[in-house]
Amino acid sequence: MLEIDGLTVAYGKMTALRDVSMAIRADDMVALLGGNGAGKSTLLNTISGLVQPEKGEIRWQGQSLRGLGPDIICSLGIIQVPEGRKLFPAMTVEENLLMGAYLPAARKVRRQSLDWVYSHMPHLAQRRRQRAGSLSGGEQQMVAIGRALMARPRLLMLDEPSLGLSPRASAEVFAIVSNLNREGMTTIIVSQEVQETLSITSYAYVMENGGIALHGPSAALREDPEIKKSYLGL
Amino acid sequence: MDPVLVIQSLISGVMMGMVYALLGVGFSLTWGVMHVIHISHAVFGLLGAYFAYTLLTLYGVDPVVSAMVSTPLLFIVACAVYQVLIRPLTKAREMVVASMILTFGLAIILENLLVLVWKADPRLLTPSYASESWIIGPFYLQYPHLIGFALSLVGISSLYVFLKKTTTGMAVRAAWQNQEAARLYGVNLFRISMITFALAVSTAGAGGISLALLYSFEPHSHNLWLIYLFLVVIVGGVGNVIGTALAGLIIGVITGLSMAFLPYQWVNLITFGLLMVFLIFRPHGLFGEVG
Repeated sequence: MLEIDGLTVAYGKMTALRDVSMAIRADDMVALLGGNGAGKSTLLNTISGLVQPEKGEIRWQGQSLRGLGPDIICSLGIIQVPEGRKLFPAMTVEENLLMGAYLPAARKVRRQSLDWVYSHMPHLAQRRRQRAGSLSGGEQQMVAIGRALMARPRLLMLDEPSLGLSPRASAEVFAIVSNLNREGMTTIIVSQEVQETLSITSYAYVMENGGIALHGPSAALREDPEIKKSYLGL
Repeated sequence: MDPVLVIQSLISGVMMGMVYALLGVGFSLTWGVMHVIHISHAVFGLLGAYFAYTLLTLYGVDPVVSAMVSTPLLFIVACAVYQVLIRPLTKAREMVVASMILTFGLAIILENLLVLVWKADPRLLTPSYASESWIIGPFYLQYPHLIGFALSLVGISSLYVFLKKTTTGMAVRAAWQNQEAARLYGVNLFRISMITFALAVSTAGAGGISLALLYSFEPHSHNLWLIYLFLVVIVGGVGNVIGTALAGLIIGVITGLSMAFLPYQWVNLITFGLLMVFLIFRPHGLFGEVG
C-alpha cells in the first residue's frame, strides 16, 4: 500500500533521514521504534508532505508522492495524528473534529463521520461543546485521534499517542488503536512504549541515527534478547 | 461633574469605541493569524474614507453605500497586495519584523499618493443629514455618529459570524491556533492568509469610512489611527475578535470621558499611558490571545 524507497531528508546540513526503505501492506499495523532524534517524526512528516525529501521515493498504491503538498496527501487518505496532539485549543471538541473533515470529500460525509467517531469515543460526545484546551491529556489525545478519523483515513499514522498520559489513559489509547486496526485500518504507530507497541503490532521497524537499524515481525523482536538489550532498552 | 455631560460623553465614547474596534479587528487578525504587523492597515482605512468622500462630493452617494462598494473592491486590491508583497515574506526568517518594515514603506507610499490625489487639506464627510441629531431628553445623538456606529457594529458582527460559522472562517481560526495541524488536515496556509489579509483590509476600509463620519481626516491621519489600533489590539488580545470589540469600547469610553473633563493635552497622555501600563502588566491583553 505504502512503499518507501531510499528516502533521505536533510534540515540544512544536518541529515535527518538516510536511505530509509520500508513497506506497509493494507490492513497492517506497523510499529516504528527508536530513541529520541532517531528520525521517526521526520519520517512521518515527510510522508505527510510537511517536509520534502532530498532523495528517494514514497509511493502510495503505486503513485509517487513526490512534490505533493500536505493538502493533497491528506485528501489521498494518508492522515497523521501529530506528536503532542497539536489540537486547536480555543476551539470546541466538535470544532476540532470538524476541522479533520476540512477537505471537500471528507466534508460531504462529516455528519456520518461524527457519529462514527462518537460511537468509538462516547465520552467525547458529552464534551463536544467544551474547549479542547480544557480537557485532560487523555481526552485531548482522543480528540486528536477523532480528528484524524474525521478525515476518513486509509492509512493512519500516530506519533507518540501515549506520551505523557496516565497508564490508564495510555491503555485506552492502545485499545482504541488496535480496535480500529481490527476493523481494517492500516496503521503506523510511533511509540516509546516498546512492549505495549510490539504486542499490538504485526511488524516493527527500529530506527537509529536517521536510518533503519533493523526490522522484523514484532513477535520475533520481542523474543530476541540481543535486540531487546541493544535497541529497545529492555 | 454634570451627570448629563458624563452620560453624553459615555455615549460618544461608545460610538467612537465601536469604530476603533472595527478598524482594529482586522489589524488584530493579520497579526494573530499571519504574524504580520500591518503598519499600512490604517492607510487602507483612509483610502476607504477618501473613496466615500469622492463619491459623496461628486455624485452625492451616501457613505453607507460607499462602504458596501469599497468592501469588495478593497478585498480584491488586498488579495493582489498579499500575492505581490506579503506572500514572498513567508521565506523571511523574522516574519514579524520583515512585515513591519515592508508595510511601513507601503504606508509612506500610499500616504504620499493620497496627498497627490486629494491634497493635504483636512476633509470631512458631510452627508445631507450631517447636522441632524436624534434628541432623547437632554441627550443628543448626531446622525453621522449613529451611522458610523451602526456600520461598525454590522462590520464586526459579520466578521464574527464568518469566523464562527463558516468552514473557511474555522480554517482561519485553526491556522492561527496551530499552523502545522491545520496544514496536516488540508488547510492551504497561503490561501487562508490571503483571505485573512483581504478581510482585514476591507474591514479597515469600512472602519475608515465610519471614522470619517465622526472626525475630519487628512493623508497623515493614519499615523494617529495606527497608535489607537495598537492600543485596541494590546488591550483586547491579539487575534481575539470579541476582545478587540470590547477593548475598542473601553478605550472609546476612556477617551470620551477624558475629552469632556480634561484639558486636551491630557487626552493622548492618558490613552498612551494606558498602553504602557498594559504592555508592562498585561502584555496578553485583558481577554488573552485565544478566544
